[in-house]
Amino acid sequence: MLPFSIELKPGRPVAEQILFAVKKAVVTGQLRPGEKFPSVRVLSQELKVNPNTAHKVVAALVAEGVLVTTPAVGSIVAERAAGGRKERAELLGAEAERLVVEARKLGLELDDVQAALAAHWRKLGGR
Amino acid sequence: MNIIETHNLTRRFGRTEAVHALDLAVPEGSVFALLGPNGAGKSTTIKVLMDLIRPTAGDARVLGVDSRRLGPREREQIGYVSENQQLPVWMTLRQYLDYCRPFYPRWDRALEQTLLARFDLPEDRKLAHLSRGMLMKAALLSSLAYRPKLLVLDEPFSGLDPLVRDEFVRGVLEVSELGEWSVFISSHEIEEVERLCDWIAVLDEGRLQFAESTEALLGRFRRVEVTLQGGAARLEAPPAGWLELERTGDLVRFVATQYEREETERACRERFPAGTVAVNTMTLREIFITLARAGRQARKGAAA
Repeated sequence: MLPFSIELKPGRPVAEQILFAVKKAVVTGQLRPGEKFPSVRVLSQELKVNPNTAHKVVAALVAEGVLVTTPAVGSIVAERAAGGRKERAELLGAEAERLVVEARKLGLELDDVQAALAAHWRKLGGR
Repeated sequence: MNIIETHNLTRRFGRTEAVHALDLAVPEGSVFALLGPNGAGKSTTIKVLMDLIRPTAGDARVLGVDSRRLGPREREQIGYVSENQQLPVWMTLRQYLDYCRPFYPRWDRALEQTLLARFDLPEDRKLAHLSRGMLMKAALLSSLAYRPKLLVLDEPFSGLDPLVRDEFVRGVLEVSELGEWSVFISSHEIEEVERLCDWIAVLDEGRLQFAESTEALLGRFRRVEVTLQGGAARLEAPPAGWLELERTGDLVRFVATQYEREETERACRERFPAGTVAVNTMTLREIFITLARAGRQARKGAAA
């Protein structure tokens, strides 16, 4: 079993979807610093994806500092994997874009969207 | 290097041309899917690659060797499983594996045991008494146990239930070796292979429609929707990369086949000055259908 939640959907490159799922798992604490990350083979078998894709994902996560590779253990989640507020906000990119597109289709203005967001934020107990 | 290459490959059966002037290049290290409807020429292509039949014209190279000259040295590095695999059904699975082993110096007994357990196969039952799914797993096992460099799978999933299909894919991935392990897989169902493959080629009526990496395809295709909001709209003579341009009421829709954010947005502003543009990614299946439709229209146009 993989230590993070993911549901692959058709339409977007698989590597992009896995990257996103892993980063999200790190931010939400599903994956903790120091935790062992699955090998390329396990990743490819569990998700039934091309090993080249799995390899690309692991390499990208290492390059971005989310994972560190150690010779004996393989890849583990890095200490500062979750990144700063800016990196975490970037994870919202795709969702934010979709929201903006939908809002524009509905003929709404930025104010309307912000008001709707604020209302939902409060409804869910945020301040 | 290309693990498989065909040049002008043509195969006729009597008057019927099953494969027509096929040029294909399968990069080493890729998982390459050959897609197309039944009767498109996929199996014929694979049979030529495996030297089960000879080309009428052109040639094929597998592991750098002309397919007509494939010898034991190449066969040791190729695993081949087909939908209509002929197995010695009077043997038990154990007898069959005992029979196969000596042909392959690189046969891995530990891997054989792993796969036997994973595939849940009864060793002492006669192959004749195995279900279709079990037979396919047995065939796959005997082709994976020597860790082939190239795995050729002809419609491996057709008629398999989801559980067996899952086991089958896991088995295939069990022997993956990054970089020097290639898979060539034919299928008539894009969903079966879309996560697995990084290259797609489509064959229709024996002709290659396109061959491209899935990443490039997903990157360049977008469905674009423009809400006109009463403004002007120019629909005639669309740019070369636009397919299926249509309008209902205030909504214009088309498929951009060479999507680039700025360029596509600029073209939209030019034609639909007051419109709002929404851009959506497409699944491989949608891309496949769009291209098939465009190809058919082009052929009809050429015939008329």
